[in-house]
Amino acid sequence: MATVTPSRLAALQRLRCHVFQTSYNPNGIRTGAKYLRKNLVGPAMINYYPQDFSIHALRKLVPGWDAPLLEEQQRLADVQDRKNRGKGAPKKAKSKAESRRAGKRR
Amino acid sequence: MTFARVARDMKARQGVNANEIARRAYLYVSRNQALPPSVRYQAQLQLNSFGRYTRPSTVKNRCTVSGKGRGIISEFGLSRYQFRLKALAGELPGVHKASW
Repeated sequence: MATVTPSRLAALQRLRCHVFQTSYNPNGIRTGAKYLRKNLVGPAMINYYPQDFSIHALRKLVPGWDAPLLEEQQRLADVQDRKNRGKGAPKKAKSKAESRRAGKRR
Repeated sequence: MTFARVARDMKARQGVNANEIARRAYLYVSRNQALPPSVRYQAQLQLNSFGRYTRPSTVKNRCTVSGKGRGIISEFGLSRYQFRLKALAGELPGVHKASW
């Protein structure tokens, strides 16, 4: 039985690649093809969180449309209520001395 | 949703989606051993210049209800506690409490 030389085997492999339309890469050189072959993941990633239909989100979508924000109105009402009872935030200090606690306690 | 970490994750998802094709192209050039090293090096420099929120590994699947980052049951996208609440409320089709 005749022995098959390596060069003949390589030629066979090359021909096989040509016939079946695969790339001939005998040394296993990295071509980076796997980065092109892999499916894109971005479109699926974007749809992970469900659509947000809160008033905040809708206001962002439509600029200039001020839909009432119930929480914000409640907060402002609470602040006004506190002010009316004399429990509001203190005035901003004008000077450094005013902002010192010791100075205020006098 | 008003969770800061979820907002950050959404930002990352947008970034990945916007830059994915360019990144893939640079990855292909950079990892291709058949190309000259100088070209591959330039491609790698370009890859490094992309922002933090363009890499797919910065994206983390968080709970879609509570925004928690750990203990996520990926099939439902819920943290284990939210999964339990929803399952007990009968909001997850085909899920019921084990009993034998």
